[in-house]
Amino acid sequence: MQNAEKGLESKPQTDLLSSHPLWRWVSERGLLVATGEATLARYNILFSQNLPEVEDVIPADGCLLLVLRRGASVSTALREALVSPLAGSQETVSKLHDIVVEYGGALGPDLPVLAERAGLDVADYIDCHAAAEYTVAFLGFQPGFPYLRGLPSALHAPRRASPRVRVVAGSVAIGGAYAGIYPADGPGGWQIIGRTTANLFDSRRHAPALLMSGDRLRFVPT
Amino acid sequence: MMEVLRAGLSDLVMDQGRAGLGALGVPTGGAAHPAALAAANLLVGNEEAAAGLEITLVGPALRFPTGGIVAFTGAHFSVKRSKGGAVVWNETLVLAAGETLTLEQAEAGCRCWLAVRGGLKVPQVMGSRSTFLPAGFGGHKGRVLHAGDVLEIGTTTDEVRLFRTQPPSSVERNGPLRVVVGPQANLFDDTGLAAFFTGVYRVATASDRRGLRLVGPDVTHSRTELPSQGVLPGAVQIPPDGQPIILGWDGPVTGGYPVIAGVIAADWAQLAQLKPGDAVRFVTIEAEAARALSVERWIIEDWT
Repeated sequence: MQNAEKGLESKPQTDLLSSHPLWRWVSERGLLVATGEATLARYNILFSQNLPEVEDVIPADGCLLLVLRRGASVSTALREALVSPLAGSQETVSKLHDIVVEYGGALGPDLPVLAERAGLDVADYIDCHAAAEYTVAFLGFQPGFPYLRGLPSALHAPRRASPRVRVVAGSVAIGGAYAGIYPADGPGGWQIIGRTTANLFDSRRHAPALLMSGDRLRFVPT
Repeated sequence: MMEVLRAGLSDLVMDQGRAGLGALGVPTGGAAHPAALAAANLLVGNEEAAAGLEITLVGPALRFPTGGIVAFTGAHFSVKRSKGGAVVWNETLVLAAGETLTLEQAEAGCRCWLAVRGGLKVPQVMGSRSTFLPAGFGGHKGRVLHAGDVLEIGTTTDEVRLFRTQPPSSVERNGPLRVVVGPQANLFDDTGLAAFFTGVYRVATASDRRGLRLVGPDVTHSRTELPSQGVLPGAVQIPPDGQPIILGWDGPVTGGYPVIAGVIAADWAQLAQLKPGDAVRFVTIEAEAARALSVERWIIEDWT
């Protein structure tokens, strides 16, 4: 009798818990939440709460994907963590990395074309790219691949029409409004302007990814 | 130990994967049908999380110099034992010292899992023994097995018992893939949606654990690139050419193509068995109904 009553109660409640105007589902396990500018702050809340039904939280461009464990639904605690107002200042100390880059030549084959497109000579293009301070928005595509915000708008450039079969690890790249760095050899469609010797991802390191979401970064020409 | 006399097409050391590292750009990976590998482990007296072998389309020839207790689950492959006798799926097999298992082609489906009592003792990388080929880490040296490789097997002193199981009926299901309508389904017009939900697709040869590429009716849409969003295995992306890609176990954790649908967890068992040339259709299901189906129970029977 008690169970039957619980069953009656829980059905509408579950539906209510799992829907929200800013939420979309990617299969029954992936809850895609629009988080806008608060993506990192919301990520930090979820990370610190470590809720049992959440298997993974993946930050991306203005959204978070929560991967729920098989069979799990949105709990009251999870809903609360996703809709609760954020505390006023979320200032955290973020690391600043200097990434040394050798620009152009064989290591940055797309640099001349991108410079021309931006209406700059190559030296000015490099100055402009290296003068900006970047923030790691999120990691994706490959383990440790940083999507970097802060690329001056004059340097925005579309991806290559046809991706390269092999981009070398350490390649410094531009894809749309983002700057990035390829951690490993592999196929890639971003424009390549230089290369760094920094090791962006090493599965044997205690912290495998060199850069984390929220970190700041400067490119330093050799 | 286990010696590789001849490698198969893609023999990969796998366990239940490394969940929780999406923020580093690292997918969970692991066995394509995690419950099938977990069941194989139980058949040999291991913990579900032990590492075994995922074998794809054409299997290897393996020698066990000091014998071993093994079990297969998943697709049936033609296989011979050097000392004769049948190799039965879904039950404990006892191999004598020096015995060889020679696997050939899959008879139906694509993948099987081989568990070995004690588990395959490759080093843990970021909390898992699963091979992640795209970045070359985990498993045996971050790669597929080659002829001449020798893998260590863990030791265990528990009493040997004989088990058998039968895959749950959900695993044997062979219908359209069940999908929850995706977050960008609204970007597609009626023509695009109709093409996707009524069309018959074929699995392309360029498919692997990163993604199953499909060939069939074009799914037309207006926008080709979106801000990057998190994705997970089973998400169906539509790239600019309109030909769907079902993201696989080793696929990227973020993507910029619209996601029209997501294959439910219960149908990963079917995804794991799709091979080039197979037909694929989709049918929608509500998320709540999918959750009720997603926990798969294999009943292990002790018949010692």
